Amino acid sequence: MSAPNCLRCLVRPSTAIPLAIPRQASPLVAPFAPFSTTTATAAKKEVKGHVRGGKKLVLGKFKKNKVESRVRPPGPGERKAYRKRITLSNDNAIQVPWLTDMGPGSLLDTANVAKVLALPEEVQDQLRASEAFKTTQSWKMFRKPSVLVRTETVDLMNRIQGAVEKRQTLRVAITGDKVAGKSMMLLQAMSHAYLNNWIVIHVPEAHELTTACTDYAPIPGTEPPQYTQPTYALKLIHAIKKANEKILAKTYTVSAHPELPQNIPANTPLLAIANAAKEADGAWAVFHALWNELTAQGANRPPILLSLDGLAHVMKTSDYRAPGFDRIHAHDLSLVRLFAEALGGGVQFPNGGAVLGATSRSNTPRAPSMELALAQREAEQRHADPAEVPQKDAFFRGYDERVEAVLRSVQVLRLGGVSKLEARAVMEYWAASGMLRAAVDEKTVTEKWALGSGVLGEMERASLLTMRI
Amino acid sequence: MPPRLNIWSACRALSLRTRALAQGPRPGPAMFTRGLADNTTSQLPERNSSAPPPFAVSSNSQTAGPTSQENETALDQLRMIEYGLNPLDASVEGHKYGLPELPLPSQSNTKHRYDSVVEQVTRLLMRDGKLAKAQRDMAIILNYLRTSPPPRLDPSKPLLPGAPPSSHLPLDPVSYIGVAIDSVAPLIKVRGFKGLAGGGKSLEVPMPLGARQRRRTAFQWILDAVNKKHSKGSGRTMFPHRVAEEIVAVVEGRSGVWDRRNQVHKSGTGNRANLNDMKIRGKL
Repeated sequence: MSAPNCLRCLVRPSTAIPLAIPRQASPLVAPFAPFSTTTATAAKKEVKGHVRGGKKLVLGKFKKNKVESRVRPPGPGERKAYRKRITLSNDNAIQVPWLTDMGPGSLLDTANVAKVLALPEEVQDQLRASEAFKTTQSWKMFRKPSVLVRTETVDLMNRIQGAVEKRQTLRVAITGDKVAGKSMMLLQAMSHAYLNNWIVIHVPEAHELTTACTDYAPIPGTEPPQYTQPTYALKLIHAIKKANEKILAKTYTVSAHPELPQNIPANTPLLAIANAAKEADGAWAVFHALWNELTAQGANRPPILLSLDGLAHVMKTSDYRAPGFDRIHAHDLSLVRLFAEALGGGVQFPNGGAVLGATSRSNTPRAPSMELALAQREAEQRHADPAEVPQKDAFFRGYDERVEAVLRSVQVLRLGGVSKLEARAVMEYWAASGMLRAAVDEKTVTEKWALGSGVLGEMERASLLTMRI
Repeated sequence: MPPRLNIWSACRALSLRTRALAQGPRPGPAMFTRGLADNTTSQLPERNSSAPPPFAVSSNSQTAGPTSQENETALDQLRMIEYGLNPLDASVEGHKYGLPELPLPSQSNTKHRYDSVVEQVTRLLMRDGKLAKAQRDMAIILNYLRTSPPPRLDPSKPLLPGAPPSSHLPLDPVSYIGVAIDSVAPLIKVRGFKGLAGGGKSLEVPMPLGARQRRRTAFQWILDAVNKKHSKGSGRTMFPHRVAEEIVAVVEGRSGVWDRRNQVHKSGTGNRANLNDMKIRGKL
């Protein structure tokens, strides 16, 4: 049926090529007329040009037709940004009339226990800059971000304040059940610090430092070799700068820093040092200079709060490899080392401050030394019988001496469930915001409280993230 | 030990008798040492004591005086009985947590604890039998609806008559999703009877749908639209967010589900004469 030249020649047949043989095969069958009234000539379709008959080789004919979408695919990083986006306000939620803003001394006052306090606008921006808000927390449901003041909050803040007044450094590891409010305790400590014009350095997710997801480089001339994380350091400097801009502008350097990319003479605002970090290359030097300035003894410095979320990640060997393909211990990473030294009591802040590390119960590695050390410290804190203090397992090799050394003298704050009074306060806030559609009476409070024995996250799951609204 | 002191425990302890005490069975000494007191534990007198057991309650030198509040309450109740009033609230007394109010609320049964639409839609969301995941997805959908701005309604795609105003919907996400589904739910389906129309064609006959069937069809249409959508982000909230976006689109009249509904209704109206067709007699 098909014209022979089609299969042979590579030239596309066109009218320009003179052809000796007819290019179109004559139809063998008369055209089919759909109706008896239609003439065969009318029914005959006008076929122009070359028609190829016979079997054709079709590749991939069993594949389904792909629908070409006209939607632009999301750009690089866009999907992650959507996932990580923090919404702090819900315009549908009802404004709570009795809600008051947190003040500089609010978290020290015992009268504020079992009250919900709102975060002031400025503190919101600072906390957002230091990534204290997390996507798993239900900020997006309420009109204004607010926190419940717990007994432990007031207790911890008073301890921090007491240490600051004595120019000491309080070192606390916060631990506790899943969704018990450990990160929220860090957030409260940070808001207290921001309200009192302290410097806050916060590592929002410790796993970003140790799971080998950011670049690293050895520091020459260190033995054992230490490693910097330039990109992360740059990000951290930007966060510190954005969150503490006002105080950094009012604090001045005590010594010159000729080693920085930008020459910083003495008596320059610390903000200038932070601004000197433009690229990841020199970021660690800048961070080091900033840290040295902040901890310079005898200088007039604000109190410092250093906090880290996800303590277990930095209390073990990291996923980074040394040139000999050995694993690098997390404490050999310079940023982590800095935190570990501060937590171990190796750094004295000039005007006092606090070092807080919170453990996490989700996506957390096992750090046997840390778990043991925290259990031991806890037993010592409650003056337990020496026989009851947990001891090392003699048949287990996974302990880490460096971690033990760091955690030898920290205090431990264990968070558990809240009291029913606190539960009632937070439930009344939910109800007043229109997010809990139930009368808050003793029965409802007890019902929700019992579901997680007072653990706030469980109560939240039972009353806010539920199909029964 | 009675959980609380009320008139009944008081009456038990008072042991009022109409007949002479000597004629009844001799009571144990513990009974008489117990009075209206706060101390409800019985005290056995010593066996070898020569003192006779106190038989009369009225000579209650050993019982606690009527000073405590519970005693006062019990005495008040006694006085009310004396005046011919009923002092006992049956819903409170004798029950630790009181009696439930009748009729029971519709959602107090475990099997019907969720709204009927929400329950049905959750099962339709479920894949591979993972009900807990579907329930979590449903909770995320409801929370999305709670945080999205009030929908701007399209007058050409009217919601169900009697639907709450759009400003009320976000804070009541259950009715939000209910209104969305019920508004696009088709009233009929078109059933084809094979070969009855002649020439091998099927005879299409409109059939009415029940409430659950209507909702099911509507939500399947919504799910079809959702599966064609692209996710904006990533992570486990993406599927529920896409569903929630489609529900908002339905309420705002932007969704293609409305067209599907119109199509079904049009074809049903066009074929309604087939209901009287002789060939389907007895087949409906």
